[in-house]
Amino acid sequence: MKKTILTTVILIVALFSAQAQRIKGSDTMLPLSQKAAEEFMKIKPSYAVTVTGGGSGVGITALLDGTTDLAQLSRKIKFDEKNKLKAKGKTVKEVTAAYDALAIVVHPSNKVTNLTREQLEGIFTGKIKNWKEVGGANMPIVPYSRETSSGTYEFFKESVLKKKNYMSGIMSMPATGAIIQSISQTKGAIGYVGLAYLNKQVKAIHVSYDQGKTYIKPSVANAKNKTYPIVRPLYYYYDTAKESKVKPFINYILSAKGQKIVSQVGFITVK
Amino acid sequence: MKQIRQIIERMVTVMLTLSGSVTSLAILLIIIFLFKEGFGLFSSPSVEKGYALCVQTSNPIETLTPEQIKKIFDYEITTWDEVGGSKEEIMVFRFDDIFSMYPEEEFGTDYELLPEKLGEVIAQNPYIIAYIPEQYLPQKNTSVKTLPQKNIQITDFFGGKEWLPTATPSPQFGVLPLIMGTLWVSFFAILIALPLGMGVAIYMSELAGARTRKLLKPAIELLAGIPSVVYGFFGLVVLVPLIQKALNLPVGETAFAGSLILAIMALPTIITIAEDAMGGTPRAMREASLALGATRWQTIYKVIVPYASSGIMAAVVLGIGRAIGETMAVLMVTGNAAVMPNSLFQSVRTIPATIAAELGEAPAGGAHYQSLFLLGCILFVITMLISASAEIISKRQHNKEI
Amino acid sequence: MNKKTKQKIAFIIFRILGLLVVGILFWILGFILYNGIGAISWDFLTTAPKEGMTAGGIFPAIVGTLYLIAGSVIFAFPIGVMSAIYMNEYAGNGWIVRFIRIMTNNLGSIPSIVFGLFGMALFVNTLGFGDSILAGSCTLGLLVLPLIIRTTEEALKAIPDSYRTGSLALGASKLQTIRRVILPMAFPNVITGLILSIGRVSGETAPILFTVAAYFLPKLPNSIFDQVMALPYHLYVIATSGTDIEASRPIAYGTALVLIAIVLLMNLLATALRRYFGRKVKTN
Repeated sequence: MKKTILTTVILIVALFSAQAQRIKGSDTMLPLSQKAAEEFMKIKPSYAVTVTGGGSGVGITALLDGTTDLAQLSRKIKFDEKNKLKAKGKTVKEVTAAYDALAIVVHPSNKVTNLTREQLEGIFTGKIKNWKEVGGANMPIVPYSRETSSGTYEFFKESVLKKKNYMSGIMSMPATGAIIQSISQTKGAIGYVGLAYLNKQVKAIHVSYDQGKTYIKPSVANAKNKTYPIVRPLYYYYDTAKESKVKPFINYILSAKGQKIVSQVGFITVK
Repeated sequence: MKQIRQIIERMVTVMLTLSGSVTSLAILLIIIFLFKEGFGLFSSPSVEKGYALCVQTSNPIETLTPEQIKKIFDYEITTWDEVGGSKEEIMVFRFDDIFSMYPEEEFGTDYELLPEKLGEVIAQNPYIIAYIPEQYLPQKNTSVKTLPQKNIQITDFFGGKEWLPTATPSPQFGVLPLIMGTLWVSFFAILIALPLGMGVAIYMSELAGARTRKLLKPAIELLAGIPSVVYGFFGLVVLVPLIQKALNLPVGETAFAGSLILAIMALPTIITIAEDAMGGTPRAMREASLALGATRWQTIYKVIVPYASSGIMAAVVLGIGRAIGETMAVLMVTGNAAVMPNSLFQSVRTIPATIAAELGEAPAGGAHYQSLFLLGCILFVITMLISASAEIISKRQHNKEI
Repeated sequence: MNKKTKQKIAFIIFRILGLLVVGILFWILGFILYNGIGAISWDFLTTAPKEGMTAGGIFPAIVGTLYLIAGSVIFAFPIGVMSAIYMNEYAGNGWIVRFIRIMTNNLGSIPSIVFGLFGMALFVNTLGFGDSILAGSCTLGLLVLPLIIRTTEEALKAIPDSYRTGSLALGASKLQTIRRVILPMAFPNVITGLILSIGRVSGETAPILFTVAAYFLPKLPNSIFDQVMALPYHLYVIATSGTDIEASRPIAYGTALVLIAIVLLMNLLATALRRYFGRKVKTN
């Protein structure tokens, strides 16, 4: 009798855990995963998808420890992260779910519209300190950054700063929403946010990656036709051993319906 | 029957004793875990774990400090003579660069040819500094010299002024701006809260009638009960824009915003303790003062406040303790820039805010993770010192009352 | 200026300061109430977040906070009460009690973020609970333990020794005395401490950041090893992240209002209980 109860309990637990999926990682991808999870569960009510943030690094660590099924990363998996997974006998599979463009934003009253990559590098490494040095009003520049080691922070460092370090003592905000909020209140502010976060409270800067020959406006269209330079893929990583478990969700994200969610939350579709 | 009861009594006694030791055990565990992780930092290499810095054997350079390494990779130091070498320009090479120099196939299926290729690159460029994983070190190549690994130094940690925990290849763990930022914000919080709190405490203990006190007391308890994240939210949407507009500042997220919020949060502590201390003044002393013709106000500031001074000091100390450890509210309003504070109207980063913002993204066991635990140790030690001194001070007050 | 005028001026200032503190309280409460009341509806309290946190309700966060309250109380309440009984009834007045009392005070003065660090190192990583209700409850339990011990000890101290000696003289054992005489008398004050600690637990954010809190959960947790959403963390998240800060502001205000309501309700309940029983004891 006791045994049957026990087995039933185990079975029920197993049943539940088979349907439970945990997604963990990049904060940038939270809106996408959350919305997708919501819609996915409407179609397949037997699934329970948990979404947690914490940063891209956290996602990989969780994958390593087996505490998540899907890791969402706003950057490519690092070489030594791949090695660590390999050492644990795990091979991961990468799925590009969407693209995200980083927009450089300033206060709406700022007269500056165009900036080159070199100027941006100067601003965020602390070498350019006043807006008049880049053709604006005489007003100190207040750069805002994300917290260290979020995928966005690293991607910006890699793409715009060419791997140089940010100036020490940069204002850092715990999340992108807070950056938008601060920039909309601060006249001399500049910061970087995902395209999805752009709204009327801030002004997006046109960026040039060719020493000022052409300045490109951040927009979905420009990101799609690859003229806007600061674009990064957004990935899901999973253990190939758990493929069958996560496949339905991955397939959903890549389906037409899933990609519609991608553009709804402000990212760029993969196709 | 009696025996059973005795056994039960004994078991209960044991259980109670065990429960009694739980708090001490918790403190012990906290100390062990915090310090074990935290002090691990000083046995971590100053270059990211698992990586090494290589130069050519012909290069006379023997060692580099973490600061020099950071500056080289930020292109702030561009020639070798700035760090004691020849007059040549430094060629910075990061591991990822190798993948843009050779096609992926040439490294072999398991990257077994990678060391060889890295060796090739280093051998070809005499003024290179290469940052590569230890497992791919080209050990056989005689023209490659690995710079010796030094551990992170205690002096760099406590004396450093740069907090860049994720800088590659050499993270900077200068904790000074964080400690100063924490003390700065807390100090001004108390400066704001003390006169206000003292005033209210005097009002409540000496002036207010029973009915007013009945109203004030719960109000202050409610103020203490509001969660810190709500204070932070309030600060974020109300105080920060208000401060920016009213004072016409370039940024609203300032130490001042943090101090204001912390002052409000420390008020209940200060008021309650100071009021208790003043309420303890012996009736005889008050009456003697009044009988000598002093006004009530004179009695308050010449007799009662000096009498309660130790209690008031304890209130101040505990208020500071509350302010130093506060996390969420400060994280949301101070802007978190890790700079040495020199004005109230600039952004600062505190220790608790740093832990809260970074721990989630620091890989467990790494130097960054350990440094955050070390910050926890610092916080722990500061608060222990504070509660010990508050204890001593309030004991003095207690002795006076007897 | 004569001393009477000086006194008048000083007293006016103190009155203003007293008013100011009440003013600050009402400013904060009023602001949250004014902005949050519009968001509160039955749906808000009983549905999950929708549309990337810009619509829907906060039901999972409320439930999560309730789980954490229950978990930490189950952990801390018995230990706290037993610890206080030990200190007051068994350990006498020697150095052991002094030592425990100092330790309890020290534990109470440790910043909440340090509990978060410790909880992550011990419960999440070393004991392998992972991010879970269990880990979060243990961390929060440790956090409120000193509060429970302190209030229970005060309650026990308030009972005159004559009751103890009386009971013992009638032939009752020590355990019987505690169970039949001391605890029933201390009960109201012990419960007050319990309610206060519930208020504390429901508002703490820093200790749960790394031990249990989740950004979004579609379903309610079905074991103690699951993560949960929690009200204070939810407020932090929607106040600082989310794609559309303006659109999620009403939800943030609503969440803040619910959070404050829970915390203040607990405080008021504790005050009311204390008053009620305080009067009762006096009339006895």
